[in-house]
Amino acid sequence: MIIDHPLLGPRDSAEFTYLGDASLIDRPDWQDKEAAGKFYEYQYLRDNPAGEHQELWYHEAGDRSWLVVTRDTVTHEITKVELARDVAKARGRSK
Amino acid sequence: MSNAMTSGHRLDGGLIDRSTELSFRFDGKSLEGHGGDTLASALLANGVRLMGRSFKYHRPRGVLSAGAEEPNAIVALREGAFTEPNTRATTAELFDGLVARSQNRWPSLGFDVMAVNDVMSDFLTAGFYYKTFMWPAKFWEKIYEPIIRNAAGLGALSGISDPDCYDKGFLHCDLLIIGAGPTGLAAAMTAGRSGARVIIADEDFLLGGRLNAETIAVGDTSGAAWAAQMAGELASMPNVRLMTRTTVIGSFDHGIYGAVERVTDHLAAAPEGKARQVLWRIYSKRAILAAGSIERPIAFANNDRPGIMQAGAVRAYTNRWAVAAASDVAVFTNNDDGHRTAGDLAAKGVKVAAIIDTRADAPDHADAEVFAGACVTDSRGRLGLSKVRVRFADGSQRWIKCGALGVSGGWNPNVHLTCHQRGRPVWDETIAAFVPGAVGPVGLSSAGAASGMFSTAAALTSGAAAAVDALTDIGIKAKSMIAPKTEDAPSISRPFGTSMAGVGPGWTSRMTSP
Repeated sequence: MIIDHPLLGPRDSAEFTYLGDASLIDRPDWQDKEAAGKFYEYQYLRDNPAGEHQELWYHEAGDRSWLVVTRDTVTHEITKVELARDVAKARGRSK
Repeated sequence: MSNAMTSGHRLDGGLIDRSTELSFRFDGKSLEGHGGDTLASALLANGVRLMGRSFKYHRPRGVLSAGAEEPNAIVALREGAFTEPNTRATTAELFDGLVARSQNRWPSLGFDVMAVNDVMSDFLTAGFYYKTFMWPAKFWEKIYEPIIRNAAGLGALSGISDPDCYDKGFLHCDLLIIGAGPTGLAAAMTAGRSGARVIIADEDFLLGGRLNAETIAVGDTSGAAWAAQMAGELASMPNVRLMTRTTVIGSFDHGIYGAVERVTDHLAAAPEGKARQVLWRIYSKRAILAAGSIERPIAFANNDRPGIMQAGAVRAYTNRWAVAAASDVAVFTNNDDGHRTAGDLAAKGVKVAAIIDTRADAPDHADAEVFAGACVTDSRGRLGLSKVRVRFADGSQRWIKCGALGVSGGWNPNVHLTCHQRGRPVWDETIAAFVPGAVGPVGLSSAGAASGMFSTAAALTSGAAAAVDALTDIGIKAKSMIAPKTEDAPSISRPFGTSMAGVGPGWTSRMTSP
């Protein structure tokens, strides 16, 4: 697979390590009243779609950036690659 | 030096270098071949038809094909730590000093004790459970298991670590062309002239594919000469990389292909520090599958004897390697392609015993007697074909003497790489074969025989057109190569299942590979 890095251009997926579902960005607030339930969901429950999937990739053998890759799990077609920092900021996180 | 047997099987012409004498050994016997020979063609030229044994019933086997599809002529090459078991004699390039051995036989290829399995085949059926031999328990470890282990499989590893070195590499291109037959050459020429970065890979050591095996003219020259001319022109283009002895083995996501290049397998010894084989990872923007097609055999009882070959392989040995499969050859066909084999054999002075054509409306042939509406039902000749039984249109049967039988059941496009990423081939009624489906690896298109277009003219035009389309997709302007005039026969072959009438039960196990 080839991942089109937003800063570095197309790179081989062998340069990356895969972390998993991009929902890991949305870490619940530990002070929340429902924190226990939310952490349970955050930690253990994942969608397993046959189709479009947002996931975290770490450019370990490159610039060490975290990316959010939108990939079709059936065809491996990659439609979007963003810096995880940008995605997190867009979702309202401070960094 | 030429011994009597060599002169008997070598014909005139061919694409071999007669000035180069190569001596090699097969099962300890010294033989001679020429530059440009494969091990299989050199063995046939020396009158060796028996090249191996089947793995279960130890049935005598000879060469079936002239290419990578070879299932029978499987041998061990080289000696000591360099031993390479289970190598196809049809793809092993001959070099001076090559040592080859047949496999799966004891004490010798001609007399194999385990061939008793063949006589016992009604008991040792497919799926036969060798643990039947477990009782009594103390016999297992000392007696049964060593014998069964020895009987299983084909070749054996040397048990010594591999002294060769291997390498891997990375390549990038706009267009990868898989196969350098007429289709691939036309595509490469079109793409090369456009300035695109092109890689063309072929597993053979000679570019041209079937053009080297046929007597088809391209333009005002022979197909082989045209291929050589194209190869020369491509080699002079700095934007084109020609990769011979390179097999594309896989199609991966996003236009990445795996390929194995056999760098020094055709040399007696690898030069110091040179990798024997290189595993390439090729990053392509677009790819064209021009892998051609494989001829289908026709099923009949005892159709695995040495001497029974694909008709197209008989033709390849005749035309490219100037080797007659036997002094009298019969042809069994269900399409016009078999007739071409008879014509090519007769043109080289080989006697054509008969053309057995399953079609009731089979055309006549200038050089041989045609039996229309007939089929081959059985064969004889323990270590090499001696005769075939033919059932004629009127139902009568007769044995026809022949030392080889060319069988043509039509051609199957080599769709394999198009199936690698969820691609599913689709059935094409007119050629009675599967062709690449609409869904397959992204960026891979197919052309020529690999897409079911079998004529040379269609190969040239579809190859060039595929290159133009692929390059247009990635924003490169290309002008289709003007295809020279060549053979343009319609590609039709009617399905002909089997000729099993009058054959008892168990024919499948005798006929197929075990």
